[in-house]
Amino acid sequence: MTAFLIRRIGQAAAVVMGVMVLTFVLIHLEPGSAARAALGPHVTAGRIAIFNSTYGLNEPLYRQFGGYLAQVARGNLGTSYALQQPVSTLIAQRLPRDLLLLGVSTALALILALPLGLYQALRRNRPGDYVFTGIAFTLYSMPDFLLAIALIAVFCVQLRLLPPEAPQATTVTGLLADPRALILPVLTLALVSVASFSRYMRSSAIDTLAQDYIRVARAKGLSQRLILARHVLRNSLLPVITIVGLSFPAIVAGAVIAEEVFNFPGMGLLFYQAATSHDFPVLLGSTLVVGISTVIGSLAADIAYAVLDPRIRYGRG
Amino acid sequence: MRIPRAKAAFALPVILTAILVGAACSEGGGSQKGHVKAGGTTSLAWVGASPDFIFPLPPATNTNGYNANLENPLWPNLTYDGNGSQAAVNSQESLFSAIRFTDRDTTITITLKPWKWSDGAPVTSRDFTFVYHLLKAEVPNWYLYVPGLFPDDVASVATPGPHTVVMHLTHSYNPTFYTENVLSEVPLLPQHAWDKTSMSGKAGNDDDTTGGAKAVYAFLAREGAQMTTFTTNPLWKVVDGPWTLASFQSNGAWDFVPNKHYSGPDKPILARWNNVPYTTDAAEVDALRSGSSVDVATLPPNDIAQEGVLKSEGYSVAPVPYPAVGDIMPNLHNAAAGALLRQLYIRQALEDLINRPQIVSKVFGGAADPGNGPVPVQAFPSWASPLEKSGGPYPYSPSVAIALLKARGWKVAPGGTSACQRAGTGAADCGAGIAAGQPLRFQLDYSSGSATMDEEDAAIQSSEAQAGVRISLKAEPFNTLSGEVGTCTASSHPASGCGWQLVNFGYAPYEAYPAGDGFFDTGGYNNQGGYSSTEMDSLINATEYGSSTSAFFSYEDYAARQLPWLWIPLPSNIFVYRSTLQGFTPLNPVSGGLNAEVWSYRP
Repeated sequence: MTAFLIRRIGQAAAVVMGVMVLTFVLIHLEPGSAARAALGPHVTAGRIAIFNSTYGLNEPLYRQFGGYLAQVARGNLGTSYALQQPVSTLIAQRLPRDLLLLGVSTALALILALPLGLYQALRRNRPGDYVFTGIAFTLYSMPDFLLAIALIAVFCVQLRLLPPEAPQATTVTGLLADPRALILPVLTLALVSVASFSRYMRSSAIDTLAQDYIRVARAKGLSQRLILARHVLRNSLLPVITIVGLSFPAIVAGAVIAEEVFNFPGMGLLFYQAATSHDFPVLLGSTLVVGISTVIGSLAADIAYAVLDPRIRYGRG
Repeated sequence: MRIPRAKAAFALPVILTAILVGAACSEGGGSQKGHVKAGGTTSLAWVGASPDFIFPLPPATNTNGYNANLENPLWPNLTYDGNGSQAAVNSQESLFSAIRFTDRDTTITITLKPWKWSDGAPVTSRDFTFVYHLLKAEVPNWYLYVPGLFPDDVASVATPGPHTVVMHLTHSYNPTFYTENVLSEVPLLPQHAWDKTSMSGKAGNDDDTTGGAKAVYAFLAREGAQMTTFTTNPLWKVVDGPWTLASFQSNGAWDFVPNKHYSGPDKPILARWNNVPYTTDAAEVDALRSGSSVDVATLPPNDIAQEGVLKSEGYSVAPVPYPAVGDIMPNLHNAAAGALLRQLYIRQALEDLINRPQIVSKVFGGAADPGNGPVPVQAFPSWASPLEKSGGPYPYSPSVAIALLKARGWKVAPGGTSACQRAGTGAADCGAGIAAGQPLRFQLDYSSGSATMDEEDAAIQSSEAQAGVRISLKAEPFNTLSGEVGTCTASSHPASGCGWQLVNFGYAPYEAYPAGDGFFDTGGYNNQGGYSSTEMDSLINATEYGSSTSAFFSYEDYAARQLPWLWIPLPSNIFVYRSTLQGFTPLNPVSGGLNAEVWSYRP
């Protein structure tokens, strides 16, 4: 396992470096001027010169990249052109908020989706299965923003039960202190994921239920509860773990919508605004953080496979 | 809200949805105080961005127009633009008691009012020279620097008394222009507290030398970017405005409380003024409709239908014209379309085909300036010429446009694409650089994110088609568009920055004096399309250096007819405010700051 981990961390470092190179090159190929995007349409040539000199944009690309790598090695992600703040500060302010929102919504989605998928597998092609399949398809095909607006219209404007904004505190503890305000953004992200996860869980559980070892377990007289808990659930989780990992970018994309609609400025919105304003340092810093997170998530998924499936043992040839 | 000229254009997407204009500070603003309840808190909603810099002289690399909303209530500018509902100087709120132009308008004598800083020190002429020295040393690294204007145009500054500043200019200026457009950008800053190069250092006269002034500026700019110390840094506690900063959070929310030592006429009545950031106008409108704590906000033009619902929620709605010109800028030096757009008759035809009255009524619900020419008639009625007030030189008329094109050798194909039939430079030919068979086709780039802007540009596309002018639309985020639209001239029009043909950023903002310098003059900083005319330059100079109203109208009418830009309607800002909030109206198009100091709640 140790050798596997060392190998994977090495691969991860190579992937992260590849992501940085690719991102750096791609954003510099983007048409338009970073200075004009940052300084506005009516900027003078003199001011553009000051801007380019301040941020080293008049240097050759390879030198800019070398400088950026040296800077990152010192833990400095640069300064945002648009927000004039250190990128690390901007990320540090937003990432914990997003991790909370995404973590809680993903956990809620899994808590709802796993038993639901299992239930549908057990009640396959019966009315209950049809009802939940219909609901799942409706939620899955519904754009996040529409769901968010519908929830606000019902729970905030009509019923006045919940606030239309996410908590505005700047710390995680502050966010948790206002749980009512978290309900709608979490629900918006979770419901769409529930639809996806439950479908995978359903189909995976149907496959598992058809396996010989389940028949053997039943023949041995194991109770349905034990069969489900020990054999069906555990074996059905593997594809769901994969899809949770693969859903990460989609969940982040969904968070942009949730951040906009629920007034919850986070990483998604930061990245979007940076992309539309040629804010290279923020784009690079955000991509680096997301790249590292994705690699760590993938590593965690590999380890989870090994835990869930004893047949998988990494590093044994 | 004061958004200086250069900043305002940058801040377009947020302005269209979230600009907060200070309630008009009328000369009689204080008269309400006998019937008001002291105390209370007002929450203002801001959409799209929040301040990130507190030092009031931001460097060129900091373009955040929202910083003015944090800075102006703390350090107001020398001239306070906006008086009642008028786009004029408010002498009561301004820091000067008199401004006198002499020596054929080349010498300005400014007499300061005997106001005090919040630490008890007097506001003096030395505070003006401190600002002048910093800006002089940092030219052109001041964000609002315009080449040729302040401080370039100052030959010398003298301070014959503690409250008297005498500036000798390099040439004469129109006093209205200089007072309303130049001095309105210059704050006074506390030299006795800020003239140093480190926090532990003692304030002295470092600014007297260029090197010293640069070091002071660098120190203040560095401290001004530290958002975490905005409320704790002793520098920023010395203010002369009506408010002091009580809190500033990393999410962009900030609160003001009254400056108890404010010397001005309108002492704040409210106990607290909160500023709340919103990511989008949709989130802001949802908050308003859900009975939230927001007291003042703006309504996006496409949400004007919500007016009735908001009134039932206890809000009032008030529109105010924006001090800007709505325009589509043509690139006269684009490789594909430049030859077409350089022809005045083609620009006339394009203008004739814009159904401006319909856009005002159908797209903007009637709350818009008609866009008759370079001066918005609603925001600046006193500067709008009779020609503009009568509808401008090019009222909507497809038949006139068609006749114009036919007379110049075009085969007009309504609903299709018109094409040049008679190439050549004669009076009945298409014009120089236009080949036979060349189609009358343009791409119009515009700033995305606003439903009304989508509708407006779609309406223009549709009405232009009546004469076979084929317009293709391309919407992009404002900053992306800014990055792609370079300045193009006859001598320099690289493909990288001059690929655009027509662009609609939304508008170009004016100060209190709506002159055309920087917009239509040769090499003007807003003149990306490369329009150049000696006649126009001369007329603009006459408005800037002279003070004749007829000269202003001459410039205005010439610009209206010459169409350096195509004129289009400009929606008003629509404000929503708690009905119990007094002093919010009358709104002012060019208010010099967020003067919540005259707001109060009904007892």
